[in-house]
Amino acid sequence: MIVSIKDNDELQMNSYCDGELDPASAIEFERRLAGDESLKAQYSRLLSLRRAMRSLPQFEVPADLQARIRSALDADRPGQANRPGLGARLRQRSWSLQALAAAAVFGAVISTSVMMTMDRYDSREEVARQIVAGHIRGLLAPQPFDIASSDRHTVKPWFTSHLPESPQVPDLAGQGFVLVGGRVDVVGHDPVATIVYKHAKHTVSLTTLPPGQSVSDQAIAGYNVRSWSDHEFTYIAVSDISPKDLATFERAFSAESPAPEIK
Amino acid sequence: MLKEQLEGPDRLSGQQQASVPIVQNKDERAVFDEVFLPHMAEAYRLAQWLTGNSYDAEDVVQDAALRAFRGIKSFGAINARAWSLTIVRNTAYSWLMKNRPKAVVFTEDLSAAEQQELEHEGPQGTRIETPEEIALFKADAEDVQHALAQLPAHFREVIVLREMNQLNYRDIAEITNVPIGTVMSRLSRGRQLLIALLGDRK
Repeated sequence: MIVSIKDNDELQMNSYCDGELDPASAIEFERRLAGDESLKAQYSRLLSLRRAMRSLPQFEVPADLQARIRSALDADRPGQANRPGLGARLRQRSWSLQALAAAAVFGAVISTSVMMTMDRYDSREEVARQIVAGHIRGLLAPQPFDIASSDRHTVKPWFTSHLPESPQVPDLAGQGFVLVGGRVDVVGHDPVATIVYKHAKHTVSLTTLPPGQSVSDQAIAGYNVRSWSDHEFTYIAVSDISPKDLATFERAFSAESPAPEIK
Repeated sequence: MLKEQLEGPDRLSGQQQASVPIVQNKDERAVFDEVFLPHMAEAYRLAQWLTGNSYDAEDVVQDAALRAFRGIKSFGAINARAWSLTIVRNTAYSWLMKNRPKAVVFTEDLSAAEQQELEHEGPQGTRIETPEEIALFKADAEDVQHALAQLPAHFREVIVLREMNQLNYRDIAEITNVPIGTVMSRLSRGRQLLIALLGDRK
């Protein structure tokens, strides 16, 4: 993650201690640490505190806890607030097995026919899935971007140096979408540019594809997907913000990112 | 506002709302076994830190297990550990609120002045450390545990999640339902408080 609080030693020291400073800031902090006795003393206090805490004896987990949890679950079924008597429970269980079997058969029939219908949508939906996967990977990584910068004049050249085609990189902070960086995602076998914005606590990934590949607006794995195109690119935005906010994002982006004059 | 934070497994971030087909097609019990059980020991220890004793911790973990089981469909196949610990943490607080409301102090419960003092310029905020303080961590286990128990819950939980569970900021933010920046400032302030508490002990 990015910590840009240069003026706050305490926070930076804690982040460094927790391994959460980005590499550049960490190197800078180490340089300062080497030359600052008072900072060094503070830092060694933090380390001693950590040592003291981590050397605390671990609480012993009761040996039968797991067994008790299992038996508590046996007496419970999901979605059921009150617990019926044993007979009722058994009846319910056998009923639920039948239902399960029926559902499985029904599900198989449905999914076969649906799959056949879906076939032709597949390649486009596959693109959407890959883009959402890129977004999720970004969220799981220490940072959702390869290049961290809120400066469009840093992100754009970075794309240019890594990719054959690179999009405009507007900062939309004024509209509530703060530019935080960019990354390269791979869709199919092609590296493509993804611009990363923050909207409050949410991350918005905007992936750019060659034009004419737009996918339908939808939700995949809980993430909303919205796509639009201009002459240069097809844009696919992925985020956990609402479809309405994503539409706002599209308007903001389109307004700030006019297709360049020269083709 | 506090209430919302403490509500059970339903309180899930956007990432977790994802309902992944795998979960639906599998037996819920099998999913539970895969998702929650591997983290049970960790869950129990977290519960013990948050509640302060082993009896409460057992109750909390059992409660949390039930909640997790009932809510297993909402598990988004992203991070089983964070998901499980979120439920344990929320269960621990609602359990405490219900059974021992006096035992849990949140910074929100403090007066504005006290809160300000804790979050920002605590009484020890600007003092200069002495050599004895630097050597202070010969503190025995009992002192450290006692000091931790004295911290307001919001500080204690981030420190426990960081030091005992060794989670990263992102996961801690998810579990405690606050922005990463708040995790950072609470960790920093909580550690200062602990150092002060341990330094003051006689």
